[in-house]
Amino acid sequence: MKLKRRIFTLATGAALAFSVSAAFADEALDRVMSSGTLKVATDASWAPQSFLNDDNEMDGFDVDVAREVAKRLGVEVEFVTPSWDIITAGNWNGRWDLSVGSMTPTKARSEVLSFPAVYYYTPAALAVHKDSGAKVESDLDGKNVGAGTATTFELYLQKDLSIDAEGTPEFTYKVTPGKIKSYKDSTAAMDDLRLGDGVRLDGMVGSLPAILSAIKSNYPLRVLGDPVFYEPLALAIDKGDEAFNDKLAGIVGDMKSDGTLKTLSEKWYGVDYTSAVE
Amino acid sequence: MLFADTVVSDPAVHKPKVMLIMLVVATFLLTLFGLNDTIYGEFMRPVIGEPKESGFFGNVATGFVLAIIFVINVVLIGFAAFRVQILIVWLELLLLFLAFFYSFGLNYEFIQSKIWFMITQGVFTTLYISAISIVLASIVAIFGAVAKLSSNGFAFAIASFYTSFFRGLPLLMQVYLIYLGLPQLGYVIDAVPAGVLALTLCYGAYMTEIFRAGIQSINKGQWEASRSMGFGFALTMRRIILPQAMPLIIPPTGNQFIAMLKDSSLVSVIGVWELMFLARTLGNKDFRHMEMLITAALIYWCLSICLELIQSRIERHYNTISH
Repeated sequence: MKLKRRIFTLATGAALAFSVSAAFADEALDRVMSSGTLKVATDASWAPQSFLNDDNEMDGFDVDVAREVAKRLGVEVEFVTPSWDIITAGNWNGRWDLSVGSMTPTKARSEVLSFPAVYYYTPAALAVHKDSGAKVESDLDGKNVGAGTATTFELYLQKDLSIDAEGTPEFTYKVTPGKIKSYKDSTAAMDDLRLGDGVRLDGMVGSLPAILSAIKSNYPLRVLGDPVFYEPLALAIDKGDEAFNDKLAGIVGDMKSDGTLKTLSEKWYGVDYTSAVE
Repeated sequence: MLFADTVVSDPAVHKPKVMLIMLVVATFLLTLFGLNDTIYGEFMRPVIGEPKESGFFGNVATGFVLAIIFVINVVLIGFAAFRVQILIVWLELLLLFLAFFYSFGLNYEFIQSKIWFMITQGVFTTLYISAISIVLASIVAIFGAVAKLSSNGFAFAIASFYTSFFRGLPLLMQVYLIYLGLPQLGYVIDAVPAGVLALTLCYGAYMTEIFRAGIQSINKGQWEASRSMGFGFALTMRRIILPQAMPLIIPPTGNQFIAMLKDSSLVSVIGVWELMFLARTLGNKDFRHMEMLITAALIYWCLSICLELIQSRIERHYNTISH
C-alpha cells in the first residue's frame, strides 16, 4: 500500500512540474547580451553553406556570416543543429536565438518567424543526369522530379511558391512534373539522380551552388537551362522581439555596405550573390 | 539446441540427393547473376574463351564451377565439429560481407580521417544516451510492473495507459512530441534530455511488460511462503521473487538493450551529435555518404556484438544458455 501511495505522489509531482511555465517573448536580445552567446541554428549537412569541415568543425558561408554577426554584436557564437523542419516550424522557445540557414522568407514561414534581413540571393536550377536527353525545362514535363522536402524547390515544383521579400525577381513555372518526389534534402535527391537517367529520378530542383559543388565532386549531373528562380535568403528569428530584429537588420545592412558579405560570398561561391541578379 | 537428441545420423548435407539439389539451385542462381564479365569469368578464360563474348554458355559454365566450389565447401564444413562449423561459417559470411562493401570502391583515407571523431564524439554520445536511458527505463519498468500487478485500480489504470500509449506510438514521433510538445507547456527541454526521456518512456513501457511477465511466472506459493514468514512486500520482492524472475527477465532485456542502442539514432533528428547524426553529416561536404554510412553501420554492429557477448555471459551466469 505504501508503494502505491508513493506512485500517486510521483504522478502528481510530475504534473505540477510541467505546469510551471516561463515566458520567452521579447527577450531574445536581452538573453543574447546577458549570456554573451549567440546561439545559431544551422544545418550541418548543407555544403557549402554550412557543414562539418575536415577538422570536424562547423564551416561554410552561413557559418561565416553567423560568426560575423556575433562579432558585431560583441558576443560569442554557438551552433546548434536541429533538423530543418524543426527550425522552420518556429516557436523556438529560446532554445536558440537566430537561424542563419539560407532560409527563403516565404509567406507561410513569415507567419511563425520574423526575417530581419535578406543577406544574399541564390539561383535555383534544374539538374538532370548527364546522359539525359532533356534540352529545355519543359522536357521534364510528366517526368519524376525531386526536391528536398519543405524547401522552396519543392514548392516551386508544386507551383505554390510565393516569396514576399522585397526585391525578389519575377519568375514563371517552367516545368510540370508528372510526379514530385520529396527527399530529406537536396543531396539525397542528387544521390538518387546520380544512379542514372530515369532510374529513380529524371531531374531535380536545387540551389545552383549546391548542384555545382556536387558536379565538382564528380556527380554525373548537368544543369538544365537557366536558373528557374532567384530566391532571397534571410536571417530568421522567433517572432516578437522588435529590438533584436532591428539590430540584426542594421548589422546585415552594414555588412552589405562595407563589402564583408561580398567577400564572404566570393570566398565560398566564387561569385557575388549578395545583390538581386537580373 | 532445442532438445538433447541421442539419435546419431549423417548431416543432411552429406546425402547425395541434398548435394545434387544444392548444386542445381546454386548453378541456377549464379547463372542468373551473369558472371562471365566479372573476375570469375576471367579465371574461366581457358574454358570459355573471351569472357565478354562467351554469352549464355560462359554464364552457365562460370556459375557451375562456382556452384561446385560452394557445394564442396558446404560438404567439408559438414564434417567439422559444431564449434568449428560456427567459426568457419561466420568467417565466410564476414568475408562475403567485406567483399560486398569492398566492391563499392570506398575511399579509405576519408574513412580514416573521420573515424576517430566518429568514435570520440559519436560512439561516446550514443553510448551515454543509451546507458542512461536503459537504467532509467529499468527503474520505470519495475514500478510499471508492480503497478500492473497491483490490485489498486488506480495504479493499474495509469500503468496500463502508460504502456499502451508509449508502445503504441512510433519512437520517432515520441522524440518529436517530447522535444516540440513539452515547450508548449512552458517547459523548454534540451535535445539530449528530450532524447533520453523519449527512449526511457518508450523502452520503459516495453520492459514493464517483460518485468511483469517475469514476476508473474513465479509460483504463487513463493509469495504465500514468504508472507507467512513475515516478510513484507518489498522484502519478498527483493529477496524471493526478483532473484527467481531474473533468469526469465534477463534475455529479453538484453534484446531491449541492443534495440535501444540502435534506436538512439532517432534522436539525431533533434540535432544530437551521436553516431547516426555524424554518419549523415560528416560525408556531406565531400559527397561521401556511403563511406560514412558503412563505417557507422560497422560501428553499430561491433557495439551490438559486445552487448550480445555480455548478454550471453549473464545468461550463462543464470544457467539458461542454449549452447
